[in-house]
Amino acid sequence: MSTLGLPMLSAPALAQGKPRVVIIGGGPGGATAARYIAKESNGAIDVTLIEPLKTFTTCFFSNLYVGGFRDYKSLTHNYDKVRKGGVKVVHALAASIDRDKKHVVLAGGGKVPYDRLLVAPGIDIKFDSVPGYSESAAEVMPHAWKPGAQTQLLVRKLNALKDGDQIVMIAPPNPYRCPPGPYERVSMFAHVLKKKGFKKSRIVILDPKPTFSKQAVFSEGWEKHYPGVIEWQDPKIHGGIKGVDAKTGEVKTDFTNYKPALVNVIPAQMAGKIARDAGLANQSGFCPIDAASMKSTVDPNIFVVGDASIAGEMPKSAFSANSQAKVAAMVIRAELTKSRAFPARYSNTCWSLIAPDDDVKVGASYEPVDGVIKASSTFVSQRNESADVRKQNYKESIDWYKGITADVFG
Amino acid sequence: MRRAKPARRSATRLLALCGGMALGLLSPAAHGADVEYGRYLSTECTTCHGVSKAESTIPDIHGLGESHIAEVIKAYRTKALPNPVMQNVAARLGDEEIAALAAYFATAKRPK
Repeated sequence: MSTLGLPMLSAPALAQGKPRVVIIGGGPGGATAARYIAKESNGAIDVTLIEPLKTFTTCFFSNLYVGGFRDYKSLTHNYDKVRKGGVKVVHALAASIDRDKKHVVLAGGGKVPYDRLLVAPGIDIKFDSVPGYSESAAEVMPHAWKPGAQTQLLVRKLNALKDGDQIVMIAPPNPYRCPPGPYERVSMFAHVLKKKGFKKSRIVILDPKPTFSKQAVFSEGWEKHYPGVIEWQDPKIHGGIKGVDAKTGEVKTDFTNYKPALVNVIPAQMAGKIARDAGLANQSGFCPIDAASMKSTVDPNIFVVGDASIAGEMPKSAFSANSQAKVAAMVIRAELTKSRAFPARYSNTCWSLIAPDDDVKVGASYEPVDGVIKASSTFVSQRNESADVRKQNYKESIDWYKGITADVFG
Repeated sequence: MRRAKPARRSATRLLALCGGMALGLLSPAAHGADVEYGRYLSTECTTCHGVSKAESTIPDIHGLGESHIAEVIKAYRTKALPNPVMQNVAARLGDEEIAALAAYFATAKRPK
């Protein structure tokens, strides 16, 4: 079996007791890495997970909450089993990383030393990427692209609509969390309008991109389930998104002014603040990594996984984060305990619900090629698939959610 | 390496999907399958296959017979079995990797 050419560091901590791994962020990337390092090292590594929230609400499947297919509680998970798996869970905000001294500084002032640090902070919203948008404007025009209160606000506004009200979504530019997510969300908007019996309400998507994920099957599904309800505009049609005004509720493009009852602004995104503050991100706002290990290219003691990383052709998704975390966990163990290292292998699948029992999926296997994570084989749902196939996809997505949340949180 | 457990209900269902496929009689592990490598490779599987119940579309594969696991993965690799997610997973697995996975899962316990 070939092994990676990983540098076996002298690891001074080994001589002083257990090596210490600290993980920032208890989402699909961070919690997976914590659990796998603790489990696979059989207690040989001291693992600390730093996460401010005591419960984690998944962004993945939150569109099913928007569509009324799941309740909010079903998306919320705690860290009890992570803790039982041998991980020290510290509910605190990681304020900064001192890379020279190799410790994390907590918002309360404590310091958590590490031999290896894994950073999985997810995304921050680039509010100023949409003129007129801001954190306060998001209280009126929710982005709902981070789980929690924003998602609940979006649902309240959706449920308050009257027949004839208009919805406008501003879709994000690449790269962003969950490529099919905006289009699944619009499908869920349309489903809710249809279920209410609304005949006059319309949805406009203003997209800065000329194409989008699973476009062929989304377009087919919208025509089939919601004819005439959803209008997708690429830059050639809207001429450019000029901005929003939270006070007047207006959305302006080069050609038209809209005054919809519900505006969902999904701005551009960047790596979570702590990663950017620590100098782990490049000009793109995301963090470059070594494709064979998920190790930061700027610090050999730090790994970055999930949405904050630049993972080549992998989409920013919970599945990707979970997959990347397992590679990073394997490499970290190899460096700290001299366990065997294996070639990196990554994978992803994203399911999207268009209408009840009409679910589509896209997926790929990935490997490092010439320093970049590239897809080695791919698949995507096709137009004109049978209702049985689409229904089976939906059932599979539900079972996947049970599987991955158990893999992440125990 | 202890012998593989008898196939369970989900295994029987998968077996039915395989039609009359002839299953190998010898354990791959007996031929030097790399169980540690299989344990690493299995982390790709456990994203989805961790908590499956009998009625799940994603079967529990812990403790299935080695030969059975290997044959099912190979059937996905040749697309004799239909699911594109599994076809994609199997596409990059060589015989050595399939043997390693089968040897690992045959003795693996479902995560608690």
